[in-house]
Amino acid sequence: MLLADCGSTWAKILDTATGSLEIIQTRELILRDTVFDVATGHSGRSRCREFKNELIALAEGGLSLVDDADFALVDVGGRDIKFVRFNGRKVEKLDWNLACGSTTGATVELLGKYYGIDFTTLKQADEWVNVTCGVFGMERVLEQVSLGNPPGRSVAMFIHGMVRNVYNFVGRPERLYLSGGFCENPCFVDTFRRYSQVEPLGRTVPLEGLKVISASDGKTV
Amino acid sequence: MKSSSSKKKLIGYFGFPRRDILRDVRDRVGFDVPLVDLDVDHGAPDSGVLPVTTCRIITNIIDNAMNFRGRLAVVVAAVGEGKCDRGRHVSFLLGNMGFEVVESRFPPEEFENRELVFSTGHAPLADKIERIMETVVDPSPQRNMPGPCEPTHGFWGVPPHDFRVLELFPPTTHVYGWTRCVEAGRPGDMELECRVGEGVPTVFFTQSFCAKQDIARYLAEKYGGLAIDCHREINDSILAKVEAFIRLS
Ligand code: SF4
Repeated sequence: MLLADCGSTWAKILDTATGSLEIIQTRELILRDTVFDVATGHSGRSRCREFKNELIALAEGGLSLVDDADFALVDVGGRDIKFVRFNGRKVEKLDWNLACGSTTGATVELLGKYYGIDFTTLKQADEWVNVTCGVFGMERVLEQVSLGNPPGRSVAMFIHGMVRNVYNFVGRPERLYLSGGFCENPCFVDTFRRYSQVEPLGRTVPLEGLKVISASDGKTV
Repeated sequence: MKSSSSKKKLIGYFGFPRRDILRDVRDRVGFDVPLVDLDVDHGAPDSGVLPVTTCRIITNIIDNAMNFRGRLAVVVAAVGEGKCDRGRHVSFLLGNMGFEVVESRFPPEEFENRELVFSTGHAPLADKIERIMETVVDPSPQRNMPGPCEPTHGFWGVPPHDFRVLELFPPTTHVYGWTRCVEAGRPGDMELECRVGEGVPTVFFTQSFCAKQDIARYLAEKYGGLAIDCHREINDSILAKVEAFIRLS
């Protein structure tokens, strides 16, 4: 079975028969005519036989990867933030932020490419800029650079502002599990650890959820 | 005797006006003149009269009134605590725009205690809410009343502008909030409006820019529910949140 989590910038594809995982840029999907068996993520809707709700995929994935009874899980994507909090392994709160603070994730990538930043070595910044949304945040970074701040430090300040937004959005928990591409961005994770004990779960949490959902639908995964 | 043009006339109303006021107006204008609930989306074009940060229901009232202009014999306006400040404001605006407006305030002494057949019944949620709102004009028992059920979920709030969100709920969803107050005949009864089933996973719905958002958020925190608000049409993110909450809670 081909399962896919097609986000706005990256698509994660899992072949359950071989266990192979492929991560490609979503724009490459346009060049392929693959039809997935089950998919989630807003770019997956028209490319699958069965579409599953993003929040349900995330929540089911979290439940299959985390044994805790009570925990918070956040997925920081290119254009949105999804959040689920469990109490006794039952959903206690969930939210999906598409409107405010949207596209901040994609903006980090854009800025990184523009300034040639290596996020694996980028140092976290003590200061932050206010990141209301991607566009406002980008303007703040350009302003910092024009004031003489090195681009790397300015982008780290953007990341710090974004971390604060996510932290507030999820209700400032002491501990939380992180899903999505930012798990692989040490500057983001280290900055987040100033505020909360962060446990990165990687980029495949929604795919894990699709496995659970497909199995419960009686499919062989 | 009513002229034949009275057939084209309409009596508009919004909110939950007192039934005796509605009756008096109908008596005067004609019982054959259809009633139209101006809160509801009737496909009227955007009149552009109100700021964009006005709740969609109030905007519907103005857009509908402008669209039915010339046909609206009178508007019966709920302006008391049973509606909201904006009900009073829109009544003032309509009066100043040349509409005949009859204002209604629903005092607590006139609160009723009607049986909650639809709020606690087993039927599609949209049907239940629609039929509750029909009781504003005629509260007499209707045909095909649903039987009672234990709640698996709850819906708190006003009837939404876009009913599609209601399709996600199972028929075992109980109705709470202002809509339940309407069925009980107690608009503006804060205590009843804030009463929900303990342990029943409930979605607290408000239109964006509605003052009830304050209460919805508080109640959602208190009872572990999901607070959502929506301005115009329901979007995918809201639908996904509600669907996930219903499935996972
Ligand atoms: S949705 Fe809220 S603000 Fe709008 S008319 Fe109803 S009570 Fe008033």
